[in-house]
Amino acid sequence: MSIRLEMRKMTKQYGDFLANEDISFTLNAGEVHAIVGENGAGKTTLMRMLYGMEPPTSGQIYLDGEPVSFDGPNDAISHGIGMVHQHFMLFSDFTAAENVVIGHEPKKAGFFRRKDAIDTVNKLAGQYQIQVRPNVKVADASVGEQQRIEILKVLYQGANIIILDEPTAVLTPIEVKGLLKNIKNLAEQGKSVILITHKLREVMEVADRVTVLRNGKVTGSVNKEETTADELAKLMVGRELQTISDRIQLNGNSLLEVNELTIKEKQEKPLLDRISLSVRRGEIVGIAGVSGNGQSELLQAISGLRKVNGGKVLIDGKDVTNQSVADIRLAGLSHIPEDRYLWGAAKQATVEETGLMGYQNKPDYNNKSILLKKQFRSLLSSWIKKFEIKTTSINEQAGNLSGGNLQKLIVSRELGQETPLLLAAEPTRGVDIGAMEYIHEALLQKRNNGDGILLISSELTEILTLSDRILVIYEGKIVGELTREEATEEKISILMAGGSKQ
Amino acid sequence: MKAQQRIQRLLSPLLQPFIAIFIGLLTGAIAISIVGAPILETYKELWMGAFGNFYFMTSTFARATPILIIGLGVSLAFRAGVFNLGAEGQMVLGAVSAALAALYVPGPGIVKILSALIAGITVAGLWSLLAGWMETKFKVQLLISTLLLNYVAVLFASFLVSEPFQDRSGSAALAQTPMLEQAAWLPKLFAGMSLHWGFIIGVILAIVMYFIFKLTSVGYEVKMLGLNPYFASYGGVNKTKVLLASMFISGGLAGLAGTVEVLGTQYRFVDGALTGPGFAWTGMMATLLANSHPLGTAVTAIFLAALETGAMGLERNTDVPLEIASVIKSVLILLISAKISFNWWKRMKKGRDKNGMV
Amino acid sequence: MEWFDAALLSSTIRMVAPILLAALGGAICARVGIFNVGLEGLILIGAFSAIVGNYFTGSVFLAVCFAAGVSMIFSLLFGYLSIHLQANAIVVGLGINFLALGLTTFGLRAIFDVKGAFYDKDMTGLPKIDIPLVKDIPFLGEVLSGHSALVYLSFILAILLFFFLYRTVMGFRVLAVGMNKVAANSIGLKTNSLQYLAVLMCGILCGMAGAQLSLGQVTMFTEGMTAGRGFIALVATMLGQSHPIGIIGSSFLFGLMDALSVRLQGFSMPTQFTAMLPYVITIIAMFFLKDRGAASQMSEQQSSR
Repeated sequence: MSIRLEMRKMTKQYGDFLANEDISFTLNAGEVHAIVGENGAGKTTLMRMLYGMEPPTSGQIYLDGEPVSFDGPNDAISHGIGMVHQHFMLFSDFTAAENVVIGHEPKKAGFFRRKDAIDTVNKLAGQYQIQVRPNVKVADASVGEQQRIEILKVLYQGANIIILDEPTAVLTPIEVKGLLKNIKNLAEQGKSVILITHKLREVMEVADRVTVLRNGKVTGSVNKEETTADELAKLMVGRELQTISDRIQLNGNSLLEVNELTIKEKQEKPLLDRISLSVRRGEIVGIAGVSGNGQSELLQAISGLRKVNGGKVLIDGKDVTNQSVADIRLAGLSHIPEDRYLWGAAKQATVEETGLMGYQNKPDYNNKSILLKKQFRSLLSSWIKKFEIKTTSINEQAGNLSGGNLQKLIVSRELGQETPLLLAAEPTRGVDIGAMEYIHEALLQKRNNGDGILLISSELTEILTLSDRILVIYEGKIVGELTREEATEEKISILMAGGSKQ
Repeated sequence: MKAQQRIQRLLSPLLQPFIAIFIGLLTGAIAISIVGAPILETYKELWMGAFGNFYFMTSTFARATPILIIGLGVSLAFRAGVFNLGAEGQMVLGAVSAALAALYVPGPGIVKILSALIAGITVAGLWSLLAGWMETKFKVQLLISTLLLNYVAVLFASFLVSEPFQDRSGSAALAQTPMLEQAAWLPKLFAGMSLHWGFIIGVILAIVMYFIFKLTSVGYEVKMLGLNPYFASYGGVNKTKVLLASMFISGGLAGLAGTVEVLGTQYRFVDGALTGPGFAWTGMMATLLANSHPLGTAVTAIFLAALETGAMGLERNTDVPLEIASVIKSVLILLISAKISFNWWKRMKKGRDKNGMV
Repeated sequence: MEWFDAALLSSTIRMVAPILLAALGGAICARVGIFNVGLEGLILIGAFSAIVGNYFTGSVFLAVCFAAGVSMIFSLLFGYLSIHLQANAIVVGLGINFLALGLTTFGLRAIFDVKGAFYDKDMTGLPKIDIPLVKDIPFLGEVLSGHSALVYLSFILAILLFFFLYRTVMGFRVLAVGMNKVAANSIGLKTNSLQYLAVLMCGILCGMAGAQLSLGQVTMFTEGMTAGRGFIALVATMLGQSHPIGIIGSSFLFGLMDALSVRLQGFSMPTQFTAMLPYVITIIAMFFLKDRGAASQMSEQQSSR
C-alpha cells in the first residue's frame, strides 16, 4: 500500500502552551486510521493544521510524497482532503442534493441545474452505497442522514482523504453501525479515512491502524491486530485514573418528584410525554439518551425556564410546577446548565458578574438592594482557589476564560448555593480531563453529603461513573430504568435507540 | 513588551472616542471647505458660540437638559437589551400631558408643577410600556414598533393642540396650548439666562443611575438581561418584569424631558417645538456615543448640545449653515459603532504581516 | 364606499413602488443575514440625490442613476462598518439614518441655499408611461397605466429578484450565506463578498425608491420626507418573509394605506388621524409576523456564537 499522506514532526504552539508536539502520522491509500485521545489531547489541533485552518508552528505535510502547505480549508479541499465536522456544516432549509453540490454547483449560463445535482447525488450515493434521499430537506432529515449528506458532500468535492471528527457522538447505536459499514465501504473503494474519536470500541471494529495522542504528544501508533482496547486506554490516559471517592450508601427520603410531566407544542407530538421520575437525598440519578430526545425540555421544565402543559414537579414536597425560576431556586434547586455560553454566562460580563448570578438577592450579599460586593468577593475568591480557576482577575471578561475554567466557575457557583437538589446537565462537556475529574469529584462529594443530583449527559461513561440509578430517555419518554449494578453500556445503548429492555 | 501592553490597555478605551472625534471634526472641516469658509476660524466661532461667554454657556447647558434626560432613558433601555427608538413620541406625549396638567389642575404653582411632572412621566411611561408589552406578549419587534409609534404620538399631540385644547386667545391660530401661569414655571438658575432647574434634575438623575448600575442588584439584573437574556432568566431574573419596568422608566424619562422643556423653557406645548430641534434623536446619539454609560451620557449630551448651539452661533456670524452640526454628529455615531480599537489596529497589522509572510 | 375608486388604486400602485423597492433591498440584506435598519436613510439619500441629479443634469434618467449610485456608496459604508469592522448592524443602520438626515439638510443649505424643502418649477419629474392596449381598458387602464418607469420597474425587479434567488447559482449562494455563514465559509464560499453584493444591491434599490419619492409625484425634496417609510418597508420585508413575491403582497397593503391616508384627507376627519393610518396598520401587521428571526434584542446579536 502506498503512503498517501504524511505529517512529519508537526508542532503547534499557542503562547506558552504546546497543543501539538512533534507529531508524525502516515496514512495509506484505502486505510482507516483512527486518532484517539481524551478531550484536549490535541486531536482537533492536528486536524485543523491538516485541513488548513491553522498554520503549523513547525513541521511539514506531504501528499503523495510532495511537500504541501494549505492556506485555508479550500486549499485542503482542492488537494483532495475533506472533513466532516463534529457540528455539521449544513444548510437546514436546502435539500440534501443542494447541500452536496454547494460550492461546485452544476450550472448553465449562471443558472443552477438542480436536476443535474439530484442525478449526481443519486449516482454518488449508489457508488458508495450511502443512502440519502436527494430531495429531503436537511431540517427534516435524521442526524444519521445529515451525516451521510456530509460524507457525500466531501466525496463530491473529490476527497481521497476523509476526516471524520467524532462522528458517532450524536448517533444512535443503530446509526453507528450503519456509519461504520459506510466507512469500511469507503476504504474498500480506495478512499483513506481518518477517524477521530475517543470511543475505543468503534476503533477496534473499523480501524486498520490507531495513533494515540496524550497531552499533545503521540503515545503510541499501532496496528489494530496487535493491540487491544485496554492497551489503547492505557496509552490514552497514561496514568491511573484518580479513584473517585467511595459511595456512601444513603437511603434518603425523596427530594425531587416529577409526575407525568408533559410539554406539547402546537400539533406536534409532545416534546415531553408524561415523564415521571424521582431523586432521593444522597442519590445521583442519571438520564442517558441521544441528545435532542427531550433532555433540554426536561431541564427547562424542572428549573422553571419553560412552562409545562401537564404534570407536576415537587421539590422537597413543595409543588413548584410552572413557578418562576427564582422561586424554584429558592425552593432548593441549583442548576449547571447544558450550554455554558447560552445559559450559564454572559460573555461580556466579568467573572465577578458571572459568579454573582443567583446570589444577587440573597440576604448575605444584598442589603436593601445594595450589593455587598466585599462579602461576595471573598466567596468568589474561595471558589477560584478551591477549583483552581485560572483567570487574570475577577474583572476579566467571562468570554475570555477557557471552556474548562468557565465551566469550573459555573459549577462552583451552583455548588456554592448549597441547595439540596442539583440539576447537572452535561457538566463536563468539552473540558479537559483535569477539570473533568474535579467536577466529578465535586458532584460525588455533594451526593455523599446527602444531597440529590439529577445528572443529564450524552456521555455514557459519565452516566455510568456517577449514577446510582439510570433512566433512559427516548423521544420525550422515559423508556427504561436500570440500577447501577445492572447497567451496562450495551443495555443502555439499546434503550437509547428506542429498543426494549430485554 | 509588558510596558507596551500596559500602555495599550490604558489607552485602548480612549482610542476609539479620540479617533471618532478626530475624524468627525475632519469631516466637518471638509463640509466647511465645501461651503468655502476658513476651517480654523469656523471651528473657533463654533467654540465661541457654545462656550464663548456665560450666556452662551448656560444656553448650551439648557439645550443639553432634554438631551441628557432622554439620553439617560434610552441608555436604560439599551442596557436592558432593547432598542427603544420611541423617545420622540414619548417625549411629545409627556410634554403635552404635562402642559395640560399644568393648565387645568387647580391649585397653587407647586401643585401644578408636581401634577405636570407626574402626568408627563406617567403618560410617556405608559406609551413606552405599550411597546414593551407588545414585545414581551406578542413578540412585536420593539425596535420597529417604538419608531412607528413616534409618528402616531406626534400626530395625536398635534391633533390635541390644533383642535380641542388650542390656544384661541391670539389672533393667529397656532397649534399650541395656552400659556401656563407663571407660578407653574420651573425657576431659572440664573436671572436672565435660559438655564433652568431641569438641568440639575438631569445631572442628579445621571449620578443616581450611575450608582444604581454600579451598586445595586436591580442594576445588575438589568445589565445581565441586556448582555444575555438567557443567562439572566436562568439565574432567576424575571425577564418580562425587568424589561417592562425598564421600558416604563425609559419612556418616563423621555416624558420628563418633554415636561421640563414645557415647564422650564416654552411655558406651553407648541406643536413641533420639541420635534424640530430633534432632542430625542440627539439624546439617543448621546447614549450611543457614551456606550450607555450614565455619566458618559451627561458629557456627550453637553458635547452634542454645544455642537448645536455653537453651530447656531456659526450661522449668526458666518455663512456656514448650522446643519454642519448634524453632519459631524452622525459621522461620530458611525465611527463609534465600529470596533475601532487596538483589535482593529492589530488586524490591520496582521493583514500586512500575512502578506509579507507568503 | 365613495372613497374607493380607480384613482385610489392607481395611487396605491404609485405608493407601493418606493416601499416595494426598499423592501426588496431589505430582503436581500436579510437573506445574507444582515438586518438593515438603514433603509430609511438610504431612501432619503436617494430622494435627495435624485433631485440634485435632476437639477444639474436636467435628465431624469441620469437623476435616477445618480440617486442609485449615491445610495449605493452609502450602503457600501454600511457594509464596510457592519461586515468588515463587525460593528453592530443595528447601530450602524441607525447611524446611516442620522447621517442621511444630517447630510441632506446640510446639502439643502449648501447646494440650494434653502431650508426645509426644495422645489424648482423648471425640474421635470419622472415621465408617466402609458401601456399600450391596457390603457384603453376601462377602470383597469386607469389603475395600471400612466405610471412612471420606476413603478413598473419595481414589479419587474421583484420578479427578477425571485429568479435570481431561486434559479441562479449566485442567488443560491446568497441564500446559503444567510442560512448558515459558518457552513458557507467552510465550503469556501466568499461570504463577505456575497454580503457586500447584497448590501450594494440594497443600496441601488433604495436609491431608486428615493427617486420615486422625490421625482415620482411632485418634483420636490423635503427634509425627512421618507417619514418612516424605510421602517414600513422593513416590516413589509418581514411580513413577506423576505420572499420577493410575498413582499409584493405586503407592500401592496402598506401602499394602499398610504394612498388611503391621502384620500381620506378630503373627508371630515382630522388630518392627523388619516395621517396616522399607515403607521397604525403597520404596527397591527407586526402582530401577524411569522418570521421573528431578526433579533430585536441587541444581546441576541451579540451572543451569536
